Amino acid sequence: MKDSFGDKIFYACNYGILLLIALTCLFPLLHIVSLSLSDAHSIMSGIVTFWPRGWSIESYRQLFENTRIIPAFGNSAVITLVGSAISMIMTILTAYPLSRAYFIGRRFFTLAAVFTMMFAGGMIPHYLLMKQLGLINTYWSLWLPAAVSVYNLLVLRTFFANVPEEIEEAARMDGCGEWRMLMRIMLPLSLPALATLTLFYAVGYWNSFMSVLIYINETHKYNLTVLVQQMIRKQSVLTEMVYAQPDDVAEITGEGIKAAGIMVMIIPMLIVYPLLQRYFVKGVMLGSVKG
Amino acid sequence: MAVHRAEAAAVRGAAARGRSKRIRRNIPLYLMFLPGIAFLLLFKYIPMGGLIIAFKDYNMYDGILGSPWVGMDNFNTLFNQMQTVAIIKNTLMLSVLGLVIGFPVPIALAIMLNEVRKAWFKKSVQTLVYLPHFFSWVIVSGIVLEMFSLESGTINHWIAKLTGEPFPFLYEPGSWVAIFIGSGIWKEMGFSAIIYLAALTTIDPHQYEAASIDGATKWQQIRHVTLPGITPTIVLILILSVGKVMDVGFDPVFMLQNEVVANVSNVISTYIYAFGIQRAQFSLTTAMGLFENLVGLLLVLTANRIARRFNQELW
Repeated sequence: MKDSFGDKIFYACNYGILLLIALTCLFPLLHIVSLSLSDAHSIMSGIVTFWPRGWSIESYRQLFENTRIIPAFGNSAVITLVGSAISMIMTILTAYPLSRAYFIGRRFFTLAAVFTMMFAGGMIPHYLLMKQLGLINTYWSLWLPAAVSVYNLLVLRTFFANVPEEIEEAARMDGCGEWRMLMRIMLPLSLPALATLTLFYAVGYWNSFMSVLIYINETHKYNLTVLVQQMIRKQSVLTEMVYAQPDDVAEITGEGIKAAGIMVMIIPMLIVYPLLQRYFVKGVMLGSVKG
Repeated sequence: MAVHRAEAAAVRGAAARGRSKRIRRNIPLYLMFLPGIAFLLLFKYIPMGGLIIAFKDYNMYDGILGSPWVGMDNFNTLFNQMQTVAIIKNTLMLSVLGLVIGFPVPIALAIMLNEVRKAWFKKSVQTLVYLPHFFSWVIVSGIVLEMFSLESGTINHWIAKLTGEPFPFLYEPGSWVAIFIGSGIWKEMGFSAIIYLAALTTIDPHQYEAASIDGATKWQQIRHVTLPGITPTIVLILILSVGKVMDVGFDPVFMLQNEVVANVSNVISTYIYAFGIQRAQFSLTTAMGLFENLVGLLLVLTANRIARRFNQELW
């Protein structure tokens, strides 16, 4: 069918607006990349927009030499890897019983878990608990309270519950107990869901900010988010001071270092982004299954 | 008679065997579930119990249970102090604005993407707009501060070139609020659109054909076919969003705010951090947290009740 004139205008506008939206997502990133790769002089004169001017990796060199970015990267990696492992084990072990119709107390425990999505103790009671348990300044204070996300728990529970009954019964006939059922039948059949949830958790831990700010006071234990945020903050304080004395060049290179710091956080995200896009989009669908 | 009794006994025996079998099957399940129970109790329900310090004058030596009760004193303080009342107002202002302005954006985006016929174009746009969701707020705030800062911001470089005078975007309450809300929308619009895109795929293409044959323009098709088709999803997401109205995320406010705009940017979460964690006013800030939680709970329940009237309830 041929498009009417009105429809043609509609499509033109549609493509135009979407293109604009896409560019608002692309240009800020290009700008940060360009700043991180430009030399101090170009940054200072404000000519750097969406392409590096006066190519230089000086910002990165200074970032790696003069800040704690490399140890912080390591901390972020440890927090993410160990945290995701703990969370996945806990979520699997909790989701499987909740998915069994014959699990005594299933309704009660499900409600008890769902209620915590709507009502929580909040920042201070959690902080006092961590203090009481002596977990301040340890990564356990990041891992334990976040071990199970109830949302992820419900997603996995639904997934386990939807495994075809014939497969289960066949396994039962062969004398399969609950542990073997979980390990040999459920987990291999739920690999896509497990991949999605692992990514959910990993992104959460990688980006964790507030919990690190609250529970971790020793600077050498900071992760990337807190370290870079403090760099940005200090930087803006510096900028205010320099505004009064515009000829301080050291500050302007700071602008580049800041951009380089942001890039160090963006790059790992870009590397896993194809995976993220594939599984997260599925994950959103999984979550929309009522159960 | 005797036969009946024997039968009844057999049935009872079978039931008892069934019950003991079920209990036996539950033993390994409970072993698995034990860490989960411990987690829920220790890290979810015990902190809820910790909320009682909202009604106490908490001090370290007496602890949560031993500290003296003060009734509603903390709440009286909260609701009578100019500062805290302003903070509650700010929280509501920022989140309601964010909801009203931000809520339709992903819906519009999904509908627009749905109308794209070139697959490569759709895919490219999706790839770009989903990306910011995965960035931490540190990245987003870093970019925003970089672009809008007074002294070195890119946008102000252009403005200064055009008008000779940079504009203090981050230091004017109005423009700060706009930037705050805009960056939230920028970060999440793409990802929030996914759920609507999924809903759009469930609309029967025949409906569009029929509408088109009846001479409906694209606009009319969107109004009369597309929107009704995704209304259940819109209501669902609206309920969830209304439930979060009290909860302006800590990260964006903490990272974007500055002293100059403090009287519009201080919200409940940053207040609890600044006065609770940093200045150890545990009872007062817990009272604030409890208030926030209760209003949030009330809002979810109310929203669900309203949705039930339209048969769209969550539970």
